[in-house]
Amino acid sequence: MAKSILVVEDEPNIVLSLQFLMKKAGFEVRVARDGVEALAAVEERAPDLMLLDVMIPKRDGYDVCQTVRANPDWQGIYIIMLTAKGREVDREKGIALGANDYVTKPFSTRDLTEKVKQLLGHNA
Amino acid sequence: MGPRLFLIVCFGGLAAAALLAVVVGVWLIAAALPDGGEAVRSMVIVYGGGIACLLVAVIAVLWGYLDHALAAPLAAVVRGIQTVVYANAEHRIEVDENHELGGLPTAVNDLVRKLSQARNTVEEAVATATRSLEQQKNQLAVILQDLSEGVIVCTLSHNILLYNRRALQLLHIGGDIGLDRSLFTFMTRQPILHCLGRLTNRVADGRHADHPEGLMAAFVGATSDGRHILDTRMSLILDPGGTASGYVLTFDDDTDELAALGLRDRLLREATEGLRAPVANLSAAAEILGGNPTMDVDQQGQFKQVILSESRFLANRLERLSAYYRDIITGHWPMSDIYSGNLFNHVSRRLKEQRDVATVMTGLPQWLHGDSYTLVELLNRLILKVGDLTGAASFDLEAVRGDRHVYIDVAWRGDGVPASALSLWLADRLDETLAGLSLREVLERHRTDIWSLDRDGVARLRLPLPHPKRSTHATDVQQLPPRPEFYDFELLARPGDLGELAHRPLRAITYVVFDTETTGLHPEGGDEIVALAGVRIVNGRILTGESFDRVVDPKRTIPRESTRFHGITAGTVKDKPPIQVVLPQFRAFVGDAVLVAHNADFDLKFLRLKEKECGVVFAMPVLDTLLLSAFLHDYTGRHGLDVVAERFGIEVHGRHTALGDALVAAGVFLRMIDVLEARGIRTLDEALVATSALVAARARLADV
Repeated sequence: MAKSILVVEDEPNIVLSLQFLMKKAGFEVRVARDGVEALAAVEERAPDLMLLDVMIPKRDGYDVCQTVRANPDWQGIYIIMLTAKGREVDREKGIALGANDYVTKPFSTRDLTEKVKQLLGHNA
Repeated sequence: MGPRLFLIVCFGGLAAAALLAVVVGVWLIAAALPDGGEAVRSMVIVYGGGIACLLVAVIAVLWGYLDHALAAPLAAVVRGIQTVVYANAEHRIEVDENHELGGLPTAVNDLVRKLSQARNTVEEAVATATRSLEQQKNQLAVILQDLSEGVIVCTLSHNILLYNRRALQLLHIGGDIGLDRSLFTFMTRQPILHCLGRLTNRVADGRHADHPEGLMAAFVGATSDGRHILDTRMSLILDPGGTASGYVLTFDDDTDELAALGLRDRLLREATEGLRAPVANLSAAAEILGGNPTMDVDQQGQFKQVILSESRFLANRLERLSAYYRDIITGHWPMSDIYSGNLFNHVSRRLKEQRDVATVMTGLPQWLHGDSYTLVELLNRLILKVGDLTGAASFDLEAVRGDRHVYIDVAWRGDGVPASALSLWLADRLDETLAGLSLREVLERHRTDIWSLDRDGVARLRLPLPHPKRSTHATDVQQLPPRPEFYDFELLARPGDLGELAHRPLRAITYVVFDTETTGLHPEGGDEIVALAGVRIVNGRILTGESFDRVVDPKRTIPRESTRFHGITAGTVKDKPPIQVVLPQFRAFVGDAVLVAHNADFDLKFLRLKEKECGVVFAMPVLDTLLLSAFLHDYTGRHGLDVVAERFGIEVHGRHTALGDALVAAGVFLRMIDVLEARGIRTLDEALVATSALVAARARLADV
């Protein structure tokens, strides 16, 4: 069965690219537009990996990340944070709150795809 | 009675007495004459009258002469002296030439001249001094007026002594400040008191001499209405005795700069964060289009649309950024290097004042860079909110040195804080006093963020802060040779029965890590302790706030050679208690704890020699970090405290003070426990066995 990815992003332009990339890499993709929607989607069915933007409406990415990590059932979900905040402190905060990786925008689509594949054990 | 009146009375009496004598004589003679001697009687009366007249005349002439030659000149001298004293210092006494006062008028005139000369000299000196003072004051005023910064000089009771025009402008005062008015009429009280407290503490502890900023500290001040933020610096004024007598504030309007800073921050954010997203979208779409030529036309259209819209967006954004850029003035947020111990002290004190919240300072204090007052406010508010949320009533405060930041950790037993709650709290504003800065803005100014973690029932808030700007805090320590290693098998001999302590894990034992400073290396040769300090370790935490630190009067001279090591002189120990007072206090501080010291035998020997005299016994087990180091790192012979601290990555502050060394040894010891555990040494007994084996080996080596 294809591994599933939850893209949490409120910007349609990047959602388009992320969706395309992940589908092309052979993953099943769902999209959430804000923090509340994201947690609802996880609740409905836990994804294998989340591409989680920090600056999203309602509940921010740090909040979502911490909430996911607080639930023992969701420990296995990989979380890659995507953000336009490029400070070292922001990265440290993301990792401290439980993200597996932290990617600063803009990023190379190939690198991101590689990272996702690596985490999900799709070493092609 | 004046001299002239006196003469008149005297001579008048004399004349009257002479007349009386003549009259009585004449009358007696006349009465004794037989009857019929009328002619003789008349003659007697006539001669008597003549004699009387002659006597009176002689007396009158004598009086006249004395009055002229003595009494009148004497009165003139008195009047003259009165004139000199009360009217004209230049007056000279004038006396008729024919007087019988001898050298008196001349002598008095000489005296007057000398007096007047002396007076002139003093007046000239005063005038000169006043002139130069006036000149200096004018120069100072000119310099102050020319300064682009506001300057205010205040007494310790915050009365204004001196200020410049620029200060008026910056404080937005229309008229004059008025000397001797209270500073707090014009500036916000709290940050000033906070900074003054920091500086006076620094002086009281004698830290200003070595402090990189000396008597100065920067802070964020504000006008009393809180509308204008002032980038302020305070310098303490010390009187010749070395105590603070006032302070100088220099400040600059920061509101403009902050506005500029806000603009710059926005610009930077837009230039970095704001551009990242559109660039990401653009490049992703382009990469995908380029990498997938077989994509169907519909999808291709979508990606082309993305490229188009993002490119337009970027072009617009660029225009706006250039517009901002033209308006920009660069500014800065005033910050200074802060010692975490002092920062935590302020936080603890405020918490205790406000509510019954206990704080425990743990770990080794660290230097960091920031604005003390706003950080205290931030920590204070967040801790109160954590208390409200989780019910925690006791917090550990610790500064942890990392590669990129110094972390301030606030730890408590219980649950952590959800990111959502924390982010809500950060919207809180400081008092109006600081232009209503929000906590979030305080973080932004420090270019940092804060988060909460919990692990194993202990939750913490972690606040990364910049490293200190000057690295001198740690490195200004003179490189001094370590004390010679000291082994005395008897001293370290294990106490017979450790009881249940023997098998307790090292981590669960309470320790007191201590250090002494001494007049020399030979306690039996009469060397004495001049300082004794200790710090407690409980449950793997160094309780920095609960330390023992005393200077001891050694009741003997302190060799200069030893002062080089500890900086303690005869002046330092003056009025300090002798060891007979301090050692029992230290014994009480140690309580049931296990003692730890670096090169423990050395310090222990001094303590034990005083046991009987002081009526105390140090029979508890002792661990030596030097021996533990030798055990753990047997590949090297270098185990001085400096070297060992460096090996364990312990930042060294205030080395070669008893407390500084005790803190370093405590930091080293805590790290050692980790390594010891990894080597299979988990209990006190095991640690003592390991080190005493080493002592035996080294003692044998020494014998050979």
